[in-house]
Amino acid sequence: MNQAEARSILQLYRPGTDNANDPQIAEALALARQDPELARWLEAHRTRQLALRDTFRQIPVPPGLKEQIGSEQAAFQRAKVIKRRFAVFAAAVSVLILLLEIPWQRSSPPEDTLEVFQHSMMGVALRGYGIDLTTNDLPQIRSFLAKKLAPADFQLSDALQRANINGCAVETWQNAKVSMVCFHTPQTADRNNLWLFVVDQGAVKTGNLTSSPTVQTIHRLITATWIKDGKLYLLGGEGNEADLRPYL
Amino acid sequence: MAENSDFESLVANYYAPLYQFAFSMTRDEADACDLTQQTFCIWANKGHQLRDRSKVKTWLFTTLHREFLSIRRKQSRASHIELGQASAELPVVMPSSVNQLDVREVMAALERLDETFQAPVALFYLQDCSYQEIAEILDVPLGTVKSRLVRGLNRLHEMLTNPILPKS
Repeated sequence: MNQAEARSILQLYRPGTDNANDPQIAEALALARQDPELARWLEAHRTRQLALRDTFRQIPVPPGLKEQIGSEQAAFQRAKVIKRRFAVFAAAVSVLILLLEIPWQRSSPPEDTLEVFQHSMMGVALRGYGIDLTTNDLPQIRSFLAKKLAPADFQLSDALQRANINGCAVETWQNAKVSMVCFHTPQTADRNNLWLFVVDQGAVKTGNLTSSPTVQTIHRLITATWIKDGKLYLLGGEGNEADLRPYL
Repeated sequence: MAENSDFESLVANYYAPLYQFAFSMTRDEADACDLTQQTFCIWANKGHQLRDRSKVKTWLFTTLHREFLSIRRKQSRASHIELGQASAELPVVMPSSVNQLDVREVMAALERLDETFQAPVALFYLQDCSYQEIAEILDVPLGTVKSRLVRGLNRLHEMLTNPILPKS
């Protein structure tokens, strides 16, 4: 190693560190001990390095920075705790809603019950509906309904057979086709509509319903419900029970 | 509680050198404070992922340097001071007085160094970081660190002895 190489190596030498343990630096330092010129250069270099190191380490640190970092950390921790608490609270609320919803779901009636069917069909009658086929010809109605895969072989009481038929429509309920037949009755002008809904009995949970009509008021309409030969019949109209009974 | 105590101890040990390193790169007190705080904030969030606790110092300096680079990229606001303007602000340091420096002179000289030399030079002096540590912090090979240091230190010395030298 010559003097130039030693200088080059010693440029990265930092006095007071374990740099001296590096074999190359150790060799260069050994050469400096024998070479007065290199020794002078090294002394100047060492002094410079120490001065620069001291200067860098004298960069003034703003007073209060340490405390500021501490308070930032405390705020961060508080935010973390609040976030965690909120997450726990949100989870608790979710569980609570779930717990409340289960009994509610249990208490709410299944959608395929007779009651729901009755309310739904009377709603159709009251809200307005579109007649799919306007005719007073019963065989034509049966044919139309059969084509639409809706119940067509329903049985009508004598009174209904004599009543004036307006037409029919096909409704859907719980994926089942419902035949709707509309009648005009010779009553007062504001109470002369009758609607007969027929659906396969299997589509509705009919409970204790029998072939004997059950009369009740639904959506301000008087209704009668019965089952016969695997079909559920729902007859509804304006007026009262006395108006309806003759058609059963 | 122990976690807080660890954090306080970490802050006590490293906040000053981290700030000084940040200041060496930004030359701005507010930016350096922000970088230092951000570094500890990241530590509080992710420090638990560091398995080798002996690497804490390197981790902190690496994080601060990355944050600095990230902010620098976002802001794209590298300061471009014309030589004429800079030299007027710089103190004249004669060769004989290099051994009696003050922070302002050294920072002014450091600022005039190429950016690639600034961080290694600052780390070299600030924390007695080993070359290997500097390489890890700056994410460059060891040989590159040594090369940058030799050039950076020489250039810094030249800047301090002759402040009208052109910016590197």
